[in-house]
Amino acid sequence: MSAATEQPKQTLTVTTNDNVDIVVEREILERSVLIKNMIGDVGEEQIDTAIPLPNVNEPVMKKVIEWCEHHRKDPPAPEGDDSDSRKKSTDIDEWDQKFMQVDQEMLFEIILAANYLDIKGLLDVGCKTVANMIKGKSPDEIRKTFNIQNDFTPEEEDQIRRENEWAEDR
Amino acid sequence: MPPEGVMAGFTDVPTEILQIIFEYLSPRSLNAISRTSKAFHTVANSPIIWRHLCQTQFAYWAPHHDIVAKFCGPLSAVDWCGLFIQRIMDEQRTRELLNNVLGSQKNRINHINEIADLGYDAKEVLLKEYNCPDDAEDVLARRYYAQAILEHIQRELAIKVWEDLGEGKDVPIEVALGAYDLFTQAEPGVDIDSVTSGLDSLAKGVLKEYADFPNWSPRKKASTLVTFLRDHGFQGVSDSAYRALQNSFIGLVLSSEGHESLPLISVAIYCALAQRLSLDARPCGFVYHVYSIVYAPQNTSLDGENDPNIRDQEFMYLDPFRSPNEVPKTELQNKLRELGIPTSQYEEFLSDTGTREMVVRTARNIMNSVQTIRQTNPGTHGIGSWVDTSPDMDSAFYAALWATAMLTSRQEGSSEAAIRARRRQFLPFLLDQLQEHYPWDAVLLERHIIPLFASNPDEERLRLFVNSVRDLDAMPKRIQRRDETATKVRFKVGQLFKHRRYHYEGVITGWDPSCIMGEDWIRSMDVDGLPRGRHQSFYHVLVCDKSIRYVAEENISPSTEPPSSAMLKLAGRHFKRWDPVAGVFISNVKDEYPED
Repeated sequence: MSAATEQPKQTLTVTTNDNVDIVVEREILERSVLIKNMIGDVGEEQIDTAIPLPNVNEPVMKKVIEWCEHHRKDPPAPEGDDSDSRKKSTDIDEWDQKFMQVDQEMLFEIILAANYLDIKGLLDVGCKTVANMIKGKSPDEIRKTFNIQNDFTPEEEDQIRRENEWAEDR
Repeated sequence: MPPEGVMAGFTDVPTEILQIIFEYLSPRSLNAISRTSKAFHTVANSPIIWRHLCQTQFAYWAPHHDIVAKFCGPLSAVDWCGLFIQRIMDEQRTRELLNNVLGSQKNRINHINEIADLGYDAKEVLLKEYNCPDDAEDVLARRYYAQAILEHIQRELAIKVWEDLGEGKDVPIEVALGAYDLFTQAEPGVDIDSVTSGLDSLAKGVLKEYADFPNWSPRKKASTLVTFLRDHGFQGVSDSAYRALQNSFIGLVLSSEGHESLPLISVAIYCALAQRLSLDARPCGFVYHVYSIVYAPQNTSLDGENDPNIRDQEFMYLDPFRSPNEVPKTELQNKLRELGIPTSQYEEFLSDTGTREMVVRTARNIMNSVQTIRQTNPGTHGIGSWVDTSPDMDSAFYAALWATAMLTSRQEGSSEAAIRARRRQFLPFLLDQLQEHYPWDAVLLERHIIPLFASNPDEERLRLFVNSVRDLDAMPKRIQRRDETATKVRFKVGQLFKHRRYHYEGVITGWDPSCIMGEDWIRSMDVDGLPRGRHQSFYHVLVCDKSIRYVAEENISPSTEPPSSAMLKLAGRHFKRWDPVAGVFISNVKDEYPED
C-alpha cells in the first residue's frame, strides 16, 4: 500500500478485534456499507477516533482491504431485489480467483467479515468459491472437504437417499 | 461467529449465508450437500432455495400452474420442493417418452399425446432435444418429433382459444386472432404473448406521443389513433402484395418491419389498441372490406360533451386500413347500393361484428391466400419452397380448417342443420390433412370437435376415424422381409431419388414386390401403361413437397446429389440421419423393414 507517498487522501483508522490499528483510505473503506453508514456524512475532521471492528481480526481485515482496493472503482451493487429471478453464474474473474486461494479457515473468515461489513461483491465471490468447492462432489467427498460430521443415523440416511432419488441422473 | 481466537469453518456459517451459497448450486449438488449432515439438510430444504430453483431452472410453465401469481405470493403458500421435483420428474418422463417415439413406430401417437398433455411443462426439454447436436445419432428424427410435439402443443392452445370463443366466453380480438400465429408457429417468439405485449407497448407509445390523449374527445382520439398507427408503419398493404399469407397473421404483422396487413388485421390492431386506451372501437364487417366503428361513452357526444339527453350511443366509422379520416355513413350506404345489396340488409353490414366472425373471416382470407399461391405456382406447387416461407402454407391452411370447424358451429340465425352442413364441408379436408401430416392430432379431434357433433350421425363417423388412427398406432407394423418374394426389389428404404418423369426429389420409405393398390387406382394412374406394368416393385415415397406417393420402380432414378434442406427437414419422420458417405438416409423404421 503506497497511499502515504501519494497526494494526501482522506484516511480513516479501524481497530480490529486483536487490537491492531489499520489506516485506510476512506474511499476504499466505504466499499463496506456498514462503515459507510456508520460514518455517514461526517466530514474528515470529525472522525478522529478509530472505528472499532469487534468481529474482524487483523489478517482477515488486511485481506478485506486488499479486495476493496482492487475493486475500488467497481460500480456499487444494485439496490434492492437482485436475488431471485436470474440463474446465478458461479464464474469468478481471474484476480478474484487468485485472491480466494487461501486456506479454508481464511475463506470462511472472509465470508463472515464480508457479511458483517456488508460488502456484497466480496460476499458473492466468497460464496461462489465455496459453491465451486461443492460442485460435482458426492456427500462423502463434501464431508471430507469441509470436515463435516455425519450426524445421521443409518435409517435417516437411507430415508434421505430415497427422498432424493429423483436427482440421480440430473 | 466462532469464539474469539478460533478460526471459522463451514459449520459456523450462519443460515442466511448458507442460503446464498446454496443458491449457486445445481439441484444435484444441493442434494449432495443435504445428505452430509442434519444442519445442512435443514438449510438445503428451506422453501426459499426451492423457489429459487423453480425460478431459475424452468423458463416455461403450463398455464395451470399460474406460476407468476405463485412467485409473487407468499413463500409458504406453495410446496416449492414438491413442485420442483414434479417438474423434474415430468422432464424425465418427457425424455423417456420421446425416446420411445424415436425408438418404434408402435404407440407413437400414444407417446406423443402423453408428452403433449404436459403442455408447456414439456417445452423446455423439447426445445433442448430440438437443438441436439448435428452429429447426434438420430438427429433428423429427434428434431422432427421434438418440433412436431411442440407444434401439437401449441395447436391445442390455439384451439382452446377458439373453443372459448365458440362457447361465448369473452376473448379479446387480438388473442383470438393471435391464435393463428400460435397454431402455425409462424415464427419463433411470435405468439399470443408477443401480440399482447406488442399492443401494450404501442399503447404506451400513444400516451408518450400525445400526453393529453386521455382528455380528448372520442372523435379526436379515434382519428389520432389511426394517424399514430400510420405514422408507425401500419399502412395496410399494396394491391400487389394483398394476398400474401402473412398479412392475415396479427403476430407477424406486429413483429414485421413493414407491418403490411389486410384490412381486417388493421382494424383488429386498431380496436385492440383503442381498447387499451379506453376508447370503444369495434370491427365492422362490411362487404369485401372491414371498417371500424368508434362509440362515444354513454351520455356523451363524440365531441366529448356530457349530455344526459343522448339516448342512443353516438358512433362514427373509420377506415384504419386507408386513412385517418372519418367515413360518413352515407358513403357506406352508397357503396351498398352500388353493390346491389337490398336495403333490408344494410343494417347487418353497418353494425359492429363479433370477434368470432372476424376469426372466421380470417380463416377465409387464409384459404384464399393459399389458393392464390397454389394457382400462381401451378406444377411446382410449393416443391421444396415451403421451407423458406413463413407462415407455412399447409399449416396455415390447417389452422383455417380448424378455426372454421370450431367456430361456424354457433352462428346466430342459422338452423342446426345448416350449421352441421357447413361444418361437414370442411371436415373431410381437415381429416385428410390430419391423417397425412398430423395423426397425433386425432386426440384434438376427440376433445374439441366431436363434442360439437353430439348425438349427430357424424359423431359416430368421427369416433370411428379416431379409433382407426389409434388402432393403427397400437398395432405392430407388419414386417417386410427381404425373402424370396422380395428378391426383385432393387432399392432400399432410405434411397434418395429423382422421379424419372416428374423430376421431384423423394426418398423411399417402404416397398412392395408388386403394386398393391386397388384396381381403381391402377386404372386411373394407368399403371398397366407403364413399360414394366403393375408387376414390378412399387415404392412408398416421401416427396420434398411433403406429399406421400406410390411410385413404380422404373420411375426411381437414384440421386447423386445430397438432399435438399426441405428433404432433410421432412426425412426425420422416418429416418435417423443422412449418411453422406453411403449417400442414403439411415432408416428409423427397422420395426417394419428390418433388413433395409
